[in-house]
Amino acid sequence: MSATVRGDVLAEPVLRTENLTKRFGGLVAVDNLSITLAGGRVHAIIGPNGAGKTTFFNLVTGLLSPDSGRIFFRGRDITGARPHVISRLGIKRTLQVKSVFPDLSVADNLWITRQARNRFLHAFRPAARDTETRLRVEETLEQIGLADLAARPAGTLSYGDVAMLEIGMAIISEPSLLLLDEPTCGMSPAETARAVGKIRELSRTIDLVIIEHDMDVVFGIADDITVLAQGAILASGGPAAIAEDERVREAYLGRPEDEDFVEEALNA
Amino acid sequence: MRRRSLEIVLAMVGGTFLISVPWVIPALIDSFWVSVITEILIWSLFASSVNLLFGYVGLLSFGQALYFGFGMYGVALGIDHLGLSFWPAFGLGIFSAMAMALVSGVFAVRLSSHYFAIITVVFSLIFYFLAVSDKPLTGGDDGINFSLPPLFSFDGKVFSLTDPTLQYFFVLAVVSLCLFLMHRVINSPLGKGFLAVRDNDLRASLIGLNVYVLRLIAFVMAGCLTGVSGALFAFFGRYASASYMFYQVSGEAVVWTIVGGAGTLFGPLVGTALFIVIREIVSSHWEHHSLIVGLLAILAVIFAPKGIVGLWNGWVNRPGEREAPRPVPQPLTLQAEP
Repeated sequence: MSATVRGDVLAEPVLRTENLTKRFGGLVAVDNLSITLAGGRVHAIIGPNGAGKTTFFNLVTGLLSPDSGRIFFRGRDITGARPHVISRLGIKRTLQVKSVFPDLSVADNLWITRQARNRFLHAFRPAARDTETRLRVEETLEQIGLADLAARPAGTLSYGDVAMLEIGMAIISEPSLLLLDEPTCGMSPAETARAVGKIRELSRTIDLVIIEHDMDVVFGIADDITVLAQGAILASGGPAAIAEDERVREAYLGRPEDEDFVEEALNA
Repeated sequence: MRRRSLEIVLAMVGGTFLISVPWVIPALIDSFWVSVITEILIWSLFASSVNLLFGYVGLLSFGQALYFGFGMYGVALGIDHLGLSFWPAFGLGIFSAMAMALVSGVFAVRLSSHYFAIITVVFSLIFYFLAVSDKPLTGGDDGINFSLPPLFSFDGKVFSLTDPTLQYFFVLAVVSLCLFLMHRVINSPLGKGFLAVRDNDLRASLIGLNVYVLRLIAFVMAGCLTGVSGALFAFFGRYASASYMFYQVSGEAVVWTIVGGAGTLFGPLVGTALFIVIREIVSSHWEHHSLIVGLLAILAVIFAPKGIVGLWNGWVNRPGEREAPRPVPQPLTLQAEP
């Protein structure tokens, strides 16, 4: 199924890297990576552990600086910019290990995420009086189905609810590009279905890049797939082409215990 | 409901007590205790600066005495060397503390957790030794004395802090104002930003918060609270001394804050009051009174990690007894615990 309901492939790629390289000591995590992601499509990045997927996200969001190469977001050079600057340009992400504000209430997690889009935080006006933000928070709570848990500290939520809260934080920040790092990792099948539904909904208005190990999820929502191995592109293309690619099968999909879902993927 | 009314009663009792101190305390105990309570108010403001950093932004500073010292010396040198009157000297004390906090904060808030704690100690030790060695300017450990300029004159009458009642109310007013402003900040968007940084600085930067600038703002605000308390203490004692810049003074504020309840507005006041009262009662009978301080600190860390006020909040908020669970509209943006 295709998620390109928007269909407006912009002339300017949403994200482009030129010869991006990041080394950790002797290990080359991202190796001379040149990648172009067009707008209006859902991109999945897959690859075996240690392929450099999360490092790639860390480079794009400014948590790491590349050793060489450049990163362009909608034509703008963001190489080496600090994380909050990149975030304010509209690139938001979720983390592989779910990351929220554990001592803040669920509502406050969303509240501060919304407020963080502003350049200045008011120092003396009561936060509770900000009706516009409050309404946005209420709306988002309904959207992610956490309205009943609004006053609970986020640290006391179940794993699946924390993941939904992270997605809610992504929604309320109105990103123009959203990077999802293994959004369904550790979720039950029911929670995965719920999250995938939300992600598919998001993809109608937001450019998405998703790192995912669950091939059902990948083949279910991605328009384009890039396979990374040892920090470089092994293959890229549509889901069908990737599933049939021999090198991909060998490097990643072809492990014996994974044979089944190659079949599944082909049938999907 | 129960919690709200309990707190209103408590606030009224506390407020009435604080206002009646200059008359009730001399009548019941001794007028000496009025000055002890004045001192408690001043030191609780000092502890509040540790609380703002540790309880709300997650930065444990062991160097707040430095800014306390700058507040003291701003006042003392302003009056003694520059011949300033009361209010300009007060302003100079606060300004010097904030300026020093800005200068050291620029370096310190780049670091987190124990590295931050260490650099704050290092800064305060450097200036402690400078202050001790530069005797001509600071008077070293002996300090410098000055005589109090009048607070204001009205209709030919001169009002000065040499009047203990006026001094008490002046300190009460200034400390209340500072705590009120801190309360406003904590419940503002900026305050929520502080909490976000405290909870998860990585996530905070990813949603677009400038963690460095938020920490620096908090550090200078804490420097301001410390400067005010140092200036008040200089007026209170009519002197300034390098010994108050020693890191042991900073450490005491950390203990008071943690035992009283970090991350609660009144925690530092409760902790400070407890320890100063213990000190005043016990120290005349027993020279090892700091053993009690240590014991209480250990007990608090083990059994009441959120401090005395945290215990109280937990007790008041415990699941209601017989009240049927009604679907109450939840307040979306929760107020910080008082």
